[in-house]
This record gives sequence, structure tokens and C-alpha cells, in this order.
Amino acid sequence: MEKIESTFVIIGGGIAGVSCAEGLSFLAPDESIILITASPLVKAVTNIVPLGRTLMHFDVEEKSAIVLSEKHKMLQVIHDTAIKIDTIKKLIEIESGKVISFKMLCLCTGAKPKLIAENNDFVIGIRDTESVLQFSYKLRDARRVIIIGNGGIATEIVHEVKGVDMIWVIKDKHISATFVDPGAAEFFLDKISSKCDLSGNLNKDSPTKRMRYVVSDSTPVKNGAALGPDWHNSFDISGTHFTPTNVQVEYECEISKLLTFDEQKQFDSTEEWPIYAQLTNGKIIGCDLIISATGVTPNSDICGLEDLERGEDSGLLVDWKLETSKQDIYAAGDVCTVGWPKAKHWFQMRLWTQAHQMGRYAAKSMVSNLRNEEFLQDFCFELFTHVTKFFSYKVVLLGLYNGQTLGKNYEILLRITKDQEYVKIILQDGKMQGAVLIGETDLEEMCENLILNQLDLSMYGEDLLNPDIDIEDYFD
Amino acid sequence: MVVRQYQEELKYLEKINECCWRIKKGFQPNMKVEGVFYVNNTLERLMFDELHNACRPGAIGGFLPGMKQIANVAALPGNMAAFDMDDPKSIISPGGVGFDINCGVRLLRTNLFESDVLPIKEQLAQSMFDHIPVGVGSKGIIPMNAQDLEEALEMGMDWSLREGYIWAEDKEHCEEYGRMLNADPSKVSMRAKKRGLPQLGTLGAGNHYAEIQVVDEIYDKWAACKMGIEEKGQICVMIHSGSRGFGHQVATDALVQMEKAMKRDNIEVNDRQLACAHIKSQEGQDYLKAMAAAANFAWVNRSSMTFLSRQAFAKQFNSSPDDLDMHVIYDVSHNVAKIEEHLVEGKQKTLLVHRKGSTRAFPPHHPLIPVDYQLIGQPVLIGGTMGTCSYVLTGTEQGMKETFGSTCHGAGRALSRAKSRRNLDYMQVLEKLEQLGISIRVASPKLVMEEAPESYKNVTDVVNTCHAAGISKKCIKLRPIAVIKG
Repeated sequence: MEKIESTFVIIGGGIAGVSCAEGLSFLAPDESIILITASPLVKAVTNIVPLGRTLMHFDVEEKSAIVLSEKHKMLQVIHDTAIKIDTIKKLIEIESGKVISFKMLCLCTGAKPKLIAENNDFVIGIRDTESVLQFSYKLRDARRVIIIGNGGIATEIVHEVKGVDMIWVIKDKHISATFVDPGAAEFFLDKISSKCDLSGNLNKDSPTKRMRYVVSDSTPVKNGAALGPDWHNSFDISGTHFTPTNVQVEYECEISKLLTFDEQKQFDSTEEWPIYAQLTNGKIIGCDLIISATGVTPNSDICGLEDLERGEDSGLLVDWKLETSKQDIYAAGDVCTVGWPKAKHWFQMRLWTQAHQMGRYAAKSMVSNLRNEEFLQDFCFELFTHVTKFFSYKVVLLGLYNGQTLGKNYEILLRITKDQEYVKIILQDGKMQGAVLIGETDLEEMCENLILNQLDLSMYGEDLLNPDIDIEDYFD
Repeated sequence: MVVRQYQEELKYLEKINECCWRIKKGFQPNMKVEGVFYVNNTLERLMFDELHNACRPGAIGGFLPGMKQIANVAALPGNMAAFDMDDPKSIISPGGVGFDINCGVRLLRTNLFESDVLPIKEQLAQSMFDHIPVGVGSKGIIPMNAQDLEEALEMGMDWSLREGYIWAEDKEHCEEYGRMLNADPSKVSMRAKKRGLPQLGTLGAGNHYAEIQVVDEIYDKWAACKMGIEEKGQICVMIHSGSRGFGHQVATDALVQMEKAMKRDNIEVNDRQLACAHIKSQEGQDYLKAMAAAANFAWVNRSSMTFLSRQAFAKQFNSSPDDLDMHVIYDVSHNVAKIEEHLVEGKQKTLLVHRKGSTRAFPPHHPLIPVDYQLIGQPVLIGGTMGTCSYVLTGTEQGMKETFGSTCHGAGRALSRAKSRRNLDYMQVLEKLEQLGISIRVASPKLVMEEAPESYKNVTDVVNTCHAAGISKKCIKLRPIAVIKG
């Protein structure tokens, strides 16, 4: 049995894993690092644009593993799957039979999409590159799809997919609830309807464009890395049927069941959709495809990790150092569940932003512990930040942006310019707690400061959002 | 704020002489002393316009006109804008120090001339930009762990010296020798440390910059000579930076504490931004110690950038920083509070002098200025904004008498940041700078508008006023040829 030794081992080639590997090779350039990835492609964060102290926008690129190991001398990327971990002897067994020994391990195995039905060809979950590939393949001939979920990916699908009728099933009272409130949802709804008008104007007799379509030769591997922002850029996600896009939102309901073959026949014998779903509001809808984007469950079930402490969501519980309940075993990104006393304006959400932050910080933490050096937790865990794009608007989320944990005891300040910007500030006792900034508002730095500082803003009242008043100048 | 008609307000203002105005008691409630401000004709017009605008019906709250701000400071409990250390009622105010604690300016000289630099100006600007981390979220490249930070906070530039980042002479040419002895890192919150650690050795954003400058004019040849500036065309490097997120957090933490202390000790202020506590109180003492640690942070920060600038020059000119004579001329702080000895009505008193947006300017023979400058007075560095001139002044005896040895720190904003972004055009600003022969490297595009020369008052007006008023003396004028900004 071949045995490989390495100071650091990372399992997972997603954003957290790659950020961790890059961090390690920067902080400890002389130590050996092994990254075990199930997919030949790894994710890397590029084009980082800091927008504030902790806030940053970045792109996620898929890189071949070779590019990564060429850039970092001491980093070896192994394309394989870990099947067993011995946390006492510090050994990892991989599928090819090799054994890797480590001093410190970081688990960055991510999470997998929750599915409403397993093993159904017409139900797919979107989470990683492989599932998107499958999705765009199936979407090719689709006329109508059902989208379940109200988070970022569902929102983007609704925006990006063209030429297909969509039924968007959400359990909340408004769209995109994970990220925005009803007001902002209203701001976006205009975008969805204007999309219908646009495609409605198209000449329907125009020849259907041939899709540029590449079906990858490489067999899709399961458990690939999670998507990054702008994931849809490299995939074509429009159907071939060039009909106007029609989005119908079904509020406050979920799918109660999928109809069986017999039930389908009974319900509708004329229009033969491949799959029918019944909603909790009683409606039965037929479609070509059901896309499930309803969140994730941590991927923490590698053999040997059974006795590690778990959080409620079955993620690996980590302390402020990102160390699990076993010494020298760290976890970062979607697979972990935060177990340290959280700062008031920070909470965990399984996002690329946090995967990147945790990956980098895990590297710092591991190197410091290896060298027995004192260190401080990274400042990014003091304030929740996330930058994304919805409906081609820049969306910045800061702090308790939806009034999380504040109960009903908070005020909201709003500034809306139709089709341009939407600014929402959450205030409690005159102090800023969170903000949603949509569009080019230029307010992110100021809001970041005001949330961190907890400055009493009551003297400004509504003028806080008056464009002629500049709180920033006050910080000189 | 008291609302009166503009004509009514004018009754509280009295012109003392050509460039000095007095604000009488009663202009704002509870004024303990009269306020004084120095202006020339242009600035005078600006100040009065500001007041006039605020008096118009329908004027919105928010920012106070400058004169009102001065009056509010004059209304702080204690004897004067500088507070008597021996009076138990005297206060210390984080708002009177500013958020960017020990934000300041450092000037390095070289033995190079404009003709040496012009051919490789672009490469040099790029090299500086590559060496010095800039921008809001930037992280330092000088390795630092938590233990290093504790030591740096306590030791200031002594830490930089021990770690080999600076020369021993650098310390001599720095206020307080680059170290506040009363710094106590244990009075600094964990959050401030977390916030500051990754930022050490970074320039930051906003109005901060590193510039390559050319000596454009020498007004006082003798004094300039003492600073190692021989003739026009000589190249200098100016670094304007502060304590970054660290100082910001120290100030924020203190404000929260002070609000509590004010309630307990029944202290009232006109402006909540000027929250304060008695110097002798626990809150006051804790803030003094934390502020000193933040001041040390800022010095280490400027020292790290001094190191990086020397590296960048050495690389481009294939010569050592020593051979390039890259000495620190001086380093001033313009957001800090210090305990100093002053003569008040003929008596020597120990005062806590708050300088926010104001520079210390001690006269010749003052014991706290370096030997090299004993005869000429303390060099005062006035940084311009992107593309405008900077100045070196010297402290005067008159300034010591009238303003507790203080003078201006630069030009304040004329347009708010938001207004600058709306009113100015990115390309136009850049073209204008290019026409002036200034290379520019800016990390964040919006800064180009926010920091455009048009967004600021004219620094020359400000400097000329201080010169005319006699509170400091013009010595050297510098003009930028390359700007590096966040």
C-alpha cells in the first residue's frame, strides 16, 4: 500500500478548499500540501474587488487542477475520493487504495442539494457544475419547468432562463426571500414582467437559433464543487422553443407530491407532460422538468468522521479556530456549522463569500497552530457581507439585512429609484443593524462602517438616506 | 442648534484683524470661551456662505457650518479648547481627536532631481503602487502575528526599528519620537485588534495617499537647507496615512463608553459627535491609553510604508536607500490629543491639547523638537489633495501664543463625496491630471471624483492664511508628479 505524507491535507476542490490551499501555500510556503478533489476541475476565486473592510466582490473560475499545482510549488492536487479517515492516526484512505498521512486536515467537502425526489429523471437539483450541465441539457427541449426554492440560485434561474414557461413555487409571501424583503422583491418583479414584454415583441416566425451546445466529454462526477457567482455565464440556459418567457409565481406553497403514472393519466390524458406535481394550494401542474433549488445539507459523511460533533443541520461543528471537535481536524465552508459565540452582526449562511472567507481563515488558523503562534480570528466574522447579482443588479447584503434576530423591534429606512436602485437600512435604537443595497448605490462602505461602529444616528433621522448628506465625511 | 436669522448670527462675529475672526459667547449655547478662526478673503466668503445657507428656511439638519462647529467645541466643559490637566472638570473627547487617530503626514527627501525621475516616472509610480498595499479592503504584506501587534502597539516606531524596517534617525524626526509612552494595548478591544492586524502597513483609502513630489518653490532657504532641501527640482516622497480600521474602532469603542460616562457625570455637550469624559475618569484614562496605542499603530504603519517606498526607489534606481539619502524630514500627526506645557495668561499650565485636522507647530528652541530643527522651528507638513501642491511650514512663537502651537493641516472638503461623484466626470479629472504631468494610480475609481482637486478648498489659500496670521511660516512648496491612492 502506497503511503504519502503531507503536513497539510485538504479534502474538497471547491471554493473553501482551494482558498485554503492558496492560503496555506502563501503563509507556509515550505510545508507540503495535498488537495484531494473528486472533480478534475477546481474552483478558484479571482478578480477580487474589495468594496469595504470585509465586503468584497469576486468571480469564481474553474481551473484545471494542474494550473493550481503549477502555481504553488508545494501543493499537490490528487484527483480522487477520500473513503476513510482515521482521525487518531491521522490517515486518509483514498479510492485508488493509497493512504495519505497528515499533520493537519481541513475538510472542505461542501454540501449537496436537498432533492424533493431521489432518482427521478425529471427532477434535478442545482448546486454544482455537474448539475448545471445536466440542467442545461434537459432544458433544451423543455416547454415548461417548475422551479422550487426562493434563494439565490432559484432567483438567478428565473432571471437567466429564456424561452421557457416557468412556474416558480416559493413557500414565502414574496420572491427571493432568502436575500431580500417584499419591497425589494417588488423592485425585481418589474424586471420579470418586462422580460415577458421583451420576448413578446420578437417575431415568432424567426428561425429558431441553433444552440451552441457542448456536451462535455468528461463524464460528470458526483460531488463536484459548488457553483460560484455568475455560474450561468459558461452554460447556455435557454430552451430551444422560442416562445415568450412567462413566469408565474405560486406564493406560499410547496410541492406536496409528484403524481404517479396512473394519477397522471387520470388527471390529464390529452396534454402529456412527462411529470405532474401537486402543490399544497391544490393546483396540479404538468411540466417537462422540476428544478429543485431548496438549499443544501452538509456533506459530512465520510467514513471515520462519525464521532465528530455535529450541529443541528448535521454540519461539522467548529470552534473560533475552525477546528472540529477532534484536534488538528479543521472544517471550512458549507460542510461546517459554526459553533463559536457569533458576533452580533454576523451569521452563517452557506454562500460562496463565506466559503472563501472560511477557507482563507482556516489556512491562517492551521499555520498558526502548527507554529504555536498566537492569532486573532479574522475580522470578516464580525459582519455578515455578501455581494451578488440578481436580475443584473448588484446586490450588497450587510449585517442583519433582513432584521434577523431583531424580532419586530426595528425601523426601516428606504430609498427607491425605480429601475435604478433600492436601498434599505435597518435601524434599532438609532443604530444601523443591516442594509440591502441594490444597484450602484455607492453606500456600501458607509453602511459597513456604521454597522461596525454602532454610531447613534438618531440625530440624522430620515436624512440619513438624503443623497445630499454625506455621513462618510464625518469619518475623516 | 440655535436657529436665528443670518443678520442676527452676524452680530456674534467680530473681525479682529486682516485674517482673524472672533466668535462671541452665546453664538451656540453654553460656550465657555470665545472661538477664533483664521481666514483670507476667499475662505472668509466660503465660511460666511456656509453659515448663510444653514440659516435659510427649510435648511436640513446634518452638517453644521464650520463656525457652529468651532462654537460647539468652545462649549465643551473645561477652560478652553485645550483642557487644563489639573482641573478635575477638564475633559477628553474622542470626537475632538477624530476617527483616524494619528492620521498624519510624513515627508522623505532624496538626492534625486526631477530630471532623474521623469524618464522612469511611470515605472516608479507603478513600483510604488505594487509595493504599497492600497484600498479599502487591502491587507498588509509585512508579516505580523498577534504577538507582533501587541508589541507594535506598545512600542510604536521602536518596534519598527527593532524589526529592521526603519533607520534610527527616522525616530528623531518624528513627533514623540514615534512612540507614545502611555500606550496600553490591554485597553484596546479585541475587535479593534482584529480589525487592525491585517491592515498594518497599508495606505488605506479616502484622502490618504503616497506621492512623489518635486520641490517647486523655496521660501525660506535657510530653513529648507536644515531639512536637507537644497534647491528647486529636488524629489521628495510624501506619505499621508493613519491608523486605519484600528483607530476607527478605538474611537468607536470610546464613544460608547463616553456616552455612559456623560450620563453618570452630568456632562452636556451641544453636539453628540463631541461626546467626552473627564480626563481623570476611568473612561478618560482608558481612552488616553488606547488612543496612544492607536497613535503607535499609525506610526508603525507609516514606517512600514516608508520601508516599502525606500524599497521601490532602491529597485528602480538600482541603488541603496542610504545612497539615495532617503531620510525622513519630519512626520506630523493631525488627529491626536497630547499633554503639553503652555503659558496661559502668564502662567505655565499642563494642558491636554486636542488637534483634529490641525497640526502641531512648535516654535524654534522648543524642547520637544529635534536638535536639527531647534533653530528653525518644527517643520509642519501640509498635504494637498490629488494633483494640488503640498507645503512645508515651520512653527512660530506667535502660533505658540495664539493657538497653543497649532496650525492648519490641509484643505477641507468643498464638495461632499456624494456631490463630487455626481458633479465631476471621471475622464475629465484624469485628463486634467495628465495635462499637469501627474501619473496616477488609484485602486478605486470613485476616489478619482471624490478626491479631485475641485472637491477641496484651495490648500494655497489655507497655507497663505496661516502664514499671514503668523501662526506658521512658509518654507517649501512641493508639487506632485505621481500619486498613489486607495
